Amino acid sequence: MDAITALFAGFETALTPINLLWALVGVTLGTLVGVLPGIGPALTVALLLPVTAKLPPVSAFIMFAGIYYGGMFGGSTTSILLNTPGESSSIITALEGNKMARKGRAAAALATAAIGSFVAGTIGTMLLTFAAPAIAEIAVQIRPEAKFSLIMLAFVTISATFGGSPLRGLISLFFGLCIGLVGTDLQSGQARFTLGRPELLDGIEFVTVVIGLFAIGETLYVASRLRKDKASVIKLEGNARMTREDWRRSWKPWLRGTALGFPFGAVPAGGAEIPTFLSYTLEKKLSKHPEEFGKGAIEGVAGPEAANNAAAAGVLVPLLTLGLPTSATAAILLAAFQQYGLQPGPLLFITSPELVWGLIASLYIGNVMLLALNLPLAPVWAKLLLIPRPFLYAGILVFSTVGVYSLNNSVFDLFLLALFGIIGYGMRRFDFPVTPAIIGVILGPTAESFFRTALQQSNGDYSTFVRQPLSAFILFIVALALIVPAVLKARRPSVAT
Amino acid sequence: MPDPVPPNISLPTARRPISVPDLLIALGVVVLGLLMLIGTNQIAASGMNTVVGPRVFPMIVSVGTLVLGTFLTVAALRGHRAEPAAEEDTDPNVPVNLASPGLILGGFLIGTLLLQPLGFVFGTAVMYFTVAFAFGERRYGLMAGVALIVALITYLLFTRGLGLTLPPGILKGVI
Repeated sequence: MDAITALFAGFETALTPINLLWALVGVTLGTLVGVLPGIGPALTVALLLPVTAKLPPVSAFIMFAGIYYGGMFGGSTTSILLNTPGESSSIITALEGNKMARKGRAAAALATAAIGSFVAGTIGTMLLTFAAPAIAEIAVQIRPEAKFSLIMLAFVTISATFGGSPLRGLISLFFGLCIGLVGTDLQSGQARFTLGRPELLDGIEFVTVVIGLFAIGETLYVASRLRKDKASVIKLEGNARMTREDWRRSWKPWLRGTALGFPFGAVPAGGAEIPTFLSYTLEKKLSKHPEEFGKGAIEGVAGPEAANNAAAAGVLVPLLTLGLPTSATAAILLAAFQQYGLQPGPLLFITSPELVWGLIASLYIGNVMLLALNLPLAPVWAKLLLIPRPFLYAGILVFSTVGVYSLNNSVFDLFLLALFGIIGYGMRRFDFPVTPAIIGVILGPTAESFFRTALQQSNGDYSTFVRQPLSAFILFIVALALIVPAVLKARRPSVAT
Repeated sequence: MPDPVPPNISLPTARRPISVPDLLIALGVVVLGLLMLIGTNQIAASGMNTVVGPRVFPMIVSVGTLVLGTFLTVAALRGHRAEPAAEEDTDPNVPVNLASPGLILGGFLIGTLLLQPLGFVFGTAVMYFTVAFAFGERRYGLMAGVALIVALITYLLFTRGLGLTLPPGILKGVI
């Protein structure tokens, strides 16, 4: 398929007044919720899912695209003005941007983050435009064995390779897999782990798990050890803007950050943290003012923030072409697709081209809207940071309740929500990462389906996974990803002593 | 499923005292694995002639959970303990206060039970009020007012604006 022609068709879909309106609503809501402290992009998307419940799929996904990018933009505002990264990929922005803000350079930090995100988002979307159809064409031919192995790779990289403790990451993953098993087995129709409750026959809604683990868990955890001193929000006078000198120092880091971020987002390798850290290190090495790093260097905001947003675009490549989410946010987007009865993957480009291309076109549009929203309106978003904590967390809880209750109008789901909230509290208290559990819940059933299809085709011969070349190769990488970090970890102390 | 190597296997330092909560969590993971295993055996065999039945994958997941839980138990017995997460808005140095989360859960459950009889607005207003209280707010009039306004706006937004159905309760016919 000719990407340009398809993209034009996508713009025709996305540029209708009603879809432009949904894109605008999406970016505004995404920024609004993303700015709120304690809410990262993943939770932003999950909390706003019910808002799209009654929309036709195309409009819903155009709105999601806006929410997704908007949540990213909003997060950088919080990081810079409040020094609170909503997720690990914003740590660098918080580190360097907040120092800039403390030196009275908040406007420049916000502007370089916003413009950098725009540049990275736009270039990333262009790369997505051309890479996705090509990959989708290849991906159609991937056999179920290899698809299962790919999911294993995503599981391992997300839970074991990049977390603090591989064991805890894997336990979190397996907890998610257990939750994903609950419900009726689609192939045989047998009830599994329903404890005899009819409410569980349809399985546990992923929204309940996501909002419980993220939002309720966070609320309970923060309440248990609340910071008593007031968070110091840095005042922002006027618009976000940059001087000529700022531009000169920012444009190269934007491009380098984009170049780092996109490929890392696109391979199943644990999302946006790595490229933001790499970009930071790179800019520090290349800078003429390395002494400024750690004290508020603009390159240290421009590069990582661009890397972060380029990775966000990159994440959409495996999501749209393989149905493989490589971050918690992407996993929630995947689940949102499934709610509409759509399975992202190579076939989606053939079966619903207006949806895929409308979505991609709306990413370009959303980026422009975000830039227009964020530069002049930065002081408005900054005001949101002043909401007192009691009212903020109370509001988060009420929105969580609406989101979960409106799925099935079921009080039972709210009890489940409370249960997952307690588990989310425990995961924070005992240092289990939440993202692997989310990925497990959402991808577990898909993994099982490919697993069974592959075995059915091979008549139950388990060695098919290692005999099919692509699958064997991916499983080999999976094994490496599990073993190498463990070996390195085991060797380090013995070298030291 | 390849087994991971437990962390800290090569820490030759003196054994730290075992942390009871960490051990309980680790045993909890083991118990979850066991329960899943029992649950797996209770899945009815499928009537169809399939190569892979509905039990195989749950079996893998149960055994995996069990093995990982065992590793975590061993780590806990060796004195390994989890670092509580440091988050925005939290202070790792303040004493842990379990009353506040308890209060929030209590308010949430009461609000949930009131959701159908009293309606969405009052149910969620109760939740809003308890969370604000648990986070240290004490201006009761303000809290009640904000709780009701937030709940009402949310209700109107979702029912009128987005066409979702939420229980009106005693306000049926009024809003």
